[in-house]
Amino acid sequence: MQTMKRKWWVVIAVVLLAVPLRAQGRALTVTGIRGVTFGAVLPGVPRVVLRTDPANSGQIDIRGPKGPVLLTFVLPVAMTGPGGALMPISFGAGDAGFSATQAIGSQVGFDPKQPFTATVPNNGRASVFVGATANPTTNQRAGAYTATLILTVTVL
Amino acid sequence: MALQLIKSSTQNIGVRMRSITKLSLVVAALVLTGTTLQAQTNNASITATATVQTPINVVGAQQLSFGNVFPGVNKTVVAMDLANAGRFDISGQASTQVTLSFTLPATLGSGGNTMPIVSYAGVHAQNSTQTGGIGFPPSVGVSPSLNASGQLWVWIGAQVQPATNQAAGVYTGSIVMTVVY
Repeated sequence: MQTMKRKWWVVIAVVLLAVPLRAQGRALTVTGIRGVTFGAVLPGVPRVVLRTDPANSGQIDIRGPKGPVLLTFVLPVAMTGPGGALMPISFGAGDAGFSATQAIGSQVGFDPKQPFTATVPNNGRASVFVGATANPTTNQRAGAYTATLILTVTVL
Repeated sequence: MALQLIKSSTQNIGVRMRSITKLSLVVAALVLTGTTLQAQTNNASITATATVQTPINVVGAQQLSFGNVFPGVNKTVVAMDLANAGRFDISGQASTQVTLSFTLPATLGSGGNTMPIVSYAGVHAQNSTQTGGIGFPPSVGVSPSLNASGQLWVWIGAQVQPATNQAAGVYTGSIVMTVVY
């Protein structure tokens, strides 16, 4: 009987230990909320979208364990348009922003071309905003252009 | 009796060992699960989109021509006059709205002489024959759409008012149309 009791105490202890581990290891989800929208652009006229632009900046939401995460972007160098036409797109050193409050007005800017370490707050929610510049050439072919930005988040 | 006691004790040790082994496996599984949850990576993508507009091209295709006028006799060229009304040809992004605005002279000039030009009127249409054309006041401007081929035509008419003592000569002025998306 004593052995059984001891065993259950150990199981209870392990379960109690496991609960914080699971809480700390809350599942990480990364969700694309909004794309970077340049709208109508004219040949030869660059179009800038700021990361603080509430309507046109890109937004990616993070849910996961509180604590440090590593943010790494895979960025395109061009958008693809009709017939495979390409339009250059560029990202400045301050074109990405991390918000621990998920508010577009409260960001810490960072260079999306470099990995960036941020801290997810206690509620496990944060957002990343991104801006960019479209650089249509003077003879840019008319039509719709798109490109994909990928954000990878790693819990540290 | 002593033999039975030894046997029972050996069985108890065996049961305890199995329990400890099971317990160790449970602990190891939980620890491993915890470790796995700690090292998480995930990603998401968003798109960047842009639409390149065809540049607007505007051509002053036909002059507003009053021909011969006589002192003291007003002369009007209506915007529907395909032969004499001034005409601008516009090309750009298909089926896209544009805004037209005009700079209109108040007089025509010939050397140091001037002749009033008034009562401007305009027509815009999605074809060169004015079929379905729509009138508008050039002084106010208008926002029509280019046709499915990205074309639009605009005609301008007006009235000149030569004075009774209007000096003879060729009088000219410039009408400027600005087109923006």
